[in-house]
Amino acid sequence: MAEKNFMVKIESLEKYFGEDVERVHVLKGVSLEIPEGSLYTFLGPSGCGKTTTLRCVAGLERPEGGRISIDGKAVFASGERVYVPTNKRPIGMVFQSYAIWPHMTVFENVAYPLTIQRRPKSEIRRKVEDVLKIVGLHGLEDRPAPKLSGGQQQRVAFARALVNEPKVMLLDEPLSNLDAKLRVQMRFEIKALQRRVNITTIFVTHDQSEALAISDQIAVMHAGRLIEVGTPHQLYSRPKRKFTATFLGLTNLIEGKVLDLGADSRPGKIETAKGVLSFIPAAGLAKGQPAVLSIRPEHIQVHKQQPQGLENVVEGTIKEAIFMGDAYHCQIAVGDLLLAVHTHPFLSMNPGEKVYLHLDPQSCNGLPAEDVEGMDESMLGV
Amino acid sequence: MIRFFNSQTLILIGCSLFVLYLAGIPLVMLLYGSVRSAPIGEPGAAYTAQNYVKAYFDRDFYLLFWNSLKFAFGSTVVSFVIGTYLAWISERTNTPFKKVFVIMALIPFIIPGILSTIAWILLLSPKIGLINLAIKGILGLESAPFNIYTMGGMVWAEAIHLYPLVFLLMSAAFRNMDTSLEEASLSAGSSTFETFRRITLPLMRPAMFSALLIMFVRGMEAFEVPALVGVPARISVFTTKIFLAIHQFPSDFGLAGAYAVTLLVISTVGVLVYQKVTRREEKYATVTGKGYRPRVIDLGPWKYVTCASAFAIFFLAVVLPVFILLWSSFIPYYGVPSWELVGKLTLANYKYIMSYPLALTAFKNSFYLSVGSATLVMLLTSVIAWITVKSKLPGRIFLDNMAFIPIAMPGIVLGVSLIWVYLTLPIPIYGTIWVLLLAYITKFMPYGIRAASASMIQINKELEEASLASGGTWFQTFKKVILPLLMPGFVAGWIYISIISLRELSTSILLYSYDSTVLSIMAFDLWEGGQYTYVTALGVLMVLLLVAMAYVARQLGAKIGIAE
Repeated sequence: MAEKNFMVKIESLEKYFGEDVERVHVLKGVSLEIPEGSLYTFLGPSGCGKTTTLRCVAGLERPEGGRISIDGKAVFASGERVYVPTNKRPIGMVFQSYAIWPHMTVFENVAYPLTIQRRPKSEIRRKVEDVLKIVGLHGLEDRPAPKLSGGQQQRVAFARALVNEPKVMLLDEPLSNLDAKLRVQMRFEIKALQRRVNITTIFVTHDQSEALAISDQIAVMHAGRLIEVGTPHQLYSRPKRKFTATFLGLTNLIEGKVLDLGADSRPGKIETAKGVLSFIPAAGLAKGQPAVLSIRPEHIQVHKQQPQGLENVVEGTIKEAIFMGDAYHCQIAVGDLLLAVHTHPFLSMNPGEKVYLHLDPQSCNGLPAEDVEGMDESMLGV
Repeated sequence: MIRFFNSQTLILIGCSLFVLYLAGIPLVMLLYGSVRSAPIGEPGAAYTAQNYVKAYFDRDFYLLFWNSLKFAFGSTVVSFVIGTYLAWISERTNTPFKKVFVIMALIPFIIPGILSTIAWILLLSPKIGLINLAIKGILGLESAPFNIYTMGGMVWAEAIHLYPLVFLLMSAAFRNMDTSLEEASLSAGSSTFETFRRITLPLMRPAMFSALLIMFVRGMEAFEVPALVGVPARISVFTTKIFLAIHQFPSDFGLAGAYAVTLLVISTVGVLVYQKVTRREEKYATVTGKGYRPRVIDLGPWKYVTCASAFAIFFLAVVLPVFILLWSSFIPYYGVPSWELVGKLTLANYKYIMSYPLALTAFKNSFYLSVGSATLVMLLTSVIAWITVKSKLPGRIFLDNMAFIPIAMPGIVLGVSLIWVYLTLPIPIYGTIWVLLLAYITKFMPYGIRAASASMIQINKELEEASLASGGTWFQTFKKVILPLLMPGFVAGWIYISIISLRELSTSILLYSYDSTVLSIMAFDLWEGGQYTYVTALGVLMVLLLVAMAYVARQLGAKIGIAE
């Protein structure tokens, strides 16, 4: 870890909202480290504290405790009474509403961070033109801000955040105000843009597919705590927490008790109501403890005849099958348990039909049954 | 890392202290003055209850109290009926020409109270009143049918001056009402009348009640009509009694203080009840300000009746007073309209006013005071509104309440308080234009707060945060982002305050001196001197100045801020 450069470091951040009786604990000791040049996403349901954490980095909220540093310099440290106000932090920010000032033109909006520093006119003009080229708004300099489309406003917001070459760019749900089609298109653009300018970027979203599509790393948050950090791939295919597994994509959970944790190449064993199943245990599981087995609908293989020589096969009945074009989305009853299964559209699925489900042990993640609050070190980082 | 005394902190603390000074000190000094036997510095000044004893044991006190109540209640009821009726017609019915009504209903707004009072005297005086003479002539009556110099006459003159405000308040209430609530009642099978009684009326009740309260407070603090009509008619109310206590020789500041405190208590109760009502009103979510399409009631043939009645009201309330003012300003000596006088129309009155020794001073003073107080009030209240709406600073609720105190202070009471303040404090501005400026700022601060807060609430917090995140300081953010975005509310508040400053009389009359004369005082003096033709010419010039200022402000505002 030591050789890695962290641009933003957050240590045991504490934040409360409201006063007296209505006081709410919104951040409960959040700690994370954001590598230089990466696109880092805070992901979680609304009220999880992701936006608050971002606003603490920006200095728009003042935490009650903890420490935040940007590029090695503390911008907030409760112990040392350090608090750098927003306008002195090396940041650029894109707001959910874009916050494009309606009384200014595109040029004036983008030039603002430079104008207030009284930079020379020629420098301002050059930098604004450069950054407008980057976001693809060249030629719209003199347009009044209210005459821009939603997508254009967002580009202006990006240009304004970038023009002063900040060390960190903060994006607060920048896509949530766009229509669905533009939203998907802008994912690619943001990723390409971030790669081009190579600025450390924090991206806040509640949309898991957006997070998966765009991020280098994702920090999953829930109820004021950091749940798990990892690459999109890691979090989707090898989640370490039940919350991650259920929040990112769709999954099936089967409860049970750990019989055997397995070893490096050998899967573990878990006893469930559907029999003993093989699985890959997550860190923190212990023998004899309750656990859940998580398997994604697309990782369950459906066989019409009982397959031979395979582990983890359970018998079920098709309850419902919905044709989605690229797949069938089925509900298959295994005893009293309903499993979501996605199958290839060529395979005909008829309700009432008896099938055999192969739960590939490599895709079965064993996770701690209770999502205890907080997390231990082993789940942090890569 | 934070410097404690950075520009932000200094501005915020400075503005807060200034508000405290403007609103708090006069209040304290008024209470103090009312229990002193003489102004500070004079020999033998001591604490005493004498002023209150003298005030309350005066034989005429209860008559005074009763007159004030009658006057305030009467003008409240009459202005409420007229204003609400016009608001209902123009918002909720298909009466023809209703767009014209809105403009017509607001014209009296720009006519200073002293002028509209004079207009009504010229219309309804038993000797020279145009309406009286006309009716006498037509019906061959012996005596005048109307007499302005009665309680009824006073109520009428005041009500015509007050109804535009009712019209504005009730129009807003009608417009903001969710008419689907009425439609739900209609679809549940109840008749239009039943719906009005069971749904519309209860929903409108808070708005109606608050409009009534405002009118009542306005009626209690009214000065122009009681001074110009009530005094000659020997009908005293609180405001004129206070005025006379100071204008007699020697002035009895203590007695004025005791009456002022009494009046202040009455209007404060009114304002407190009003705030309670409007706060409850906000809790009911029927008035959300969202763009409902008001359900327009088809009046059938009755729409011609409502239309005719509206035009009749406007003829009485707008056309006649404006006509008599214009007429009187263009004739060489006062007389009712006749062909003979038409031939003698002249600009002599205007020439006289222009060459009147004090006129230039008064015009200058009024202009400076109007522009100065409107600008300073809006700048001050923009900062205060930022503190109360956007910041989380401790004590912001207190500050908001503090800035609102002067709304409960009748102009004449504020005048008495400031006399005490500047006779006592070692600030040598008594009798100068500066004391008038401070008085105007104090008096109009609540209107500024209301305009600035309403606009401030609409500014998305992120617009401000974006400036901070771009490296802007608080001061830069306020100047480059908040103020321009606040411009529509700023301009609206500015126009309103400059208008009411220019026609302010009740506070100025206690605080002016020869050098700090203002237009309304000059009009008052001319009227007292019986120079009707000159005073109306002055009035017409005042109105022209007001219209020009409002126009310029609107043009400037559109240039600086976002287009509305």
